[in-house]
Amino acid sequence: MVSINYAFKDICCKIVFYGPGLSGKTTNLQYVHQKIPPQTRGELISLATDQDRTLYFDFLPVDIGKIHGFSVKFQLYTVPGQVYYNATRKLVLRGVDGLVFVADSQRSKMDENIESYQNLVENLEGYGYEIEKLPLVFQYNKRDLPDISSVDEIEGVLNPKGLPHFVAVAIQGVGVFDTLKCISKLVLDQAKGEKVVPEREVTVKEVMMAESKFTQTERPELQEGREMEAISQKKPQPASEEWFSPAQMVDRPDGLGRVAVQHKAEDEPPPEKREESEPQKEEVLSERLAHVQQETKIEKGESLPKIEESPTITKGFFLWRFFKKLLNR
Amino acid sequence: MGQDYLVIYEEEIEKIEKILNWLIRNSQAKCALLVDKDGHLITRQGFTHSLDTTALAALLAGSFASTKEIARLVGEPEFSVLFHQGKKDHIHICLVGERSILAVIFDDRTTIGLIRLYAKQASEELTTILAPATKEKRDKTAQMAPDFSTSLENKLDDIFSE
Repeated sequence: MVSINYAFKDICCKIVFYGPGLSGKTTNLQYVHQKIPPQTRGELISLATDQDRTLYFDFLPVDIGKIHGFSVKFQLYTVPGQVYYNATRKLVLRGVDGLVFVADSQRSKMDENIESYQNLVENLEGYGYEIEKLPLVFQYNKRDLPDISSVDEIEGVLNPKGLPHFVAVAIQGVGVFDTLKCISKLVLDQAKGEKVVPEREVTVKEVMMAESKFTQTERPELQEGREMEAISQKKPQPASEEWFSPAQMVDRPDGLGRVAVQHKAEDEPPPEKREESEPQKEEVLSERLAHVQQETKIEKGESLPKIEESPTITKGFFLWRFFKKLLNR
Repeated sequence: MGQDYLVIYEEEIEKIEKILNWLIRNSQAKCALLVDKDGHLITRQGFTHSLDTTALAALLAGSFASTKEIARLVGEPEFSVLFHQGKKDHIHICLVGERSILAVIFDDRTTIGLIRLYAKQASEELTTILAPATKEKRDKTAQMAPDFSTSLENKLDDIFSE
């Protein structure tokens, strides 16, 4: 499904290359990866076996750039073609926006093409998708090999409806970009096609805000370690109760949750006491003792203590660890 | 696909980022990413400059999807939490509502327990924020200019050429 992110002004589309094993799906992606300008492409990721057969999927993100303020991105996926990997093949189809069916033109492979196409239809049905409603183009690959079926023959079998088709020699790049251009346009046309009444206008100011925010997150001066600090300076956070009321804090998941509450309980002193000396530590210890006792009560099934402010949990936790280390010395 | 689009508005992203920051600050994690199940990154916060977040999002979604299938095979509807332990860095992945995944990357400065606690709460909050984005039928085309297709075609011709 096309994902539209108004904050980053992103339109993201997922295109899947489908087809029988060894028909050249991965080769298509490799060629695209080699030839498109480096600034538009991300890394080509292949989850493949030792023999370079696709095991799960290949993934190539392509950033077309800004079109009328929207950054258009395509995510190209391939599926493993081998019959054996149907489980993973089906997973890749989730949320697909457009399909390229890469068929092997060799006569001997015609049955595999048909089987793979039927499998595609079945897998789409598994998600409740209808193949008729999805943008789909065909690529008849390996046209350079001897003993290939004619385009008309393949069309008759695979594409009786006459959807767009391209002849290709993916390994040499013939037809690869034509296929990709066609499916990209179809996908975005489809995204545009279902126009409904606008709910709300995004103003130029919002676009600028979104962009500046994006660059802010990428600020180079944010170094590791200082990251959290820098972020909290950039966006002063209101008190955490705004999102999580004390009552919610008490709603603990399981044993692990209890540990965190315990940390909180042991570390009641607020962070301002950080610099204070020996007598303060004793106070802390006595408080700890009191809370450990409280904790024991909780284990016996009594009501939970309420937690006022969650950030102190971690601050307190580290403070407690600090004191503990100090005492151990 | 088709009628099923995820459209997220800026104010929702702001709320989401607040929660992710809250999560990072409290759990002492390195970064947090919100990814939809189709592998699109919704947003991220924290130390992500050195990460290829696009690829990470796609792989996280893939990993989650395959785990879901494993769950189905052993008779579980879904494993809602995944945890990958490394030498230095670890990843905690949990489900957010029906169709998003929250991934938190952290190291030994914190503990899995803290991450789990805060990730669970953040996930509940995020679910309520994302609910309208997944349920409402939103307009996704209002902001596209009428000559969008022409511009797109030109751009595609530029980029997809030998």
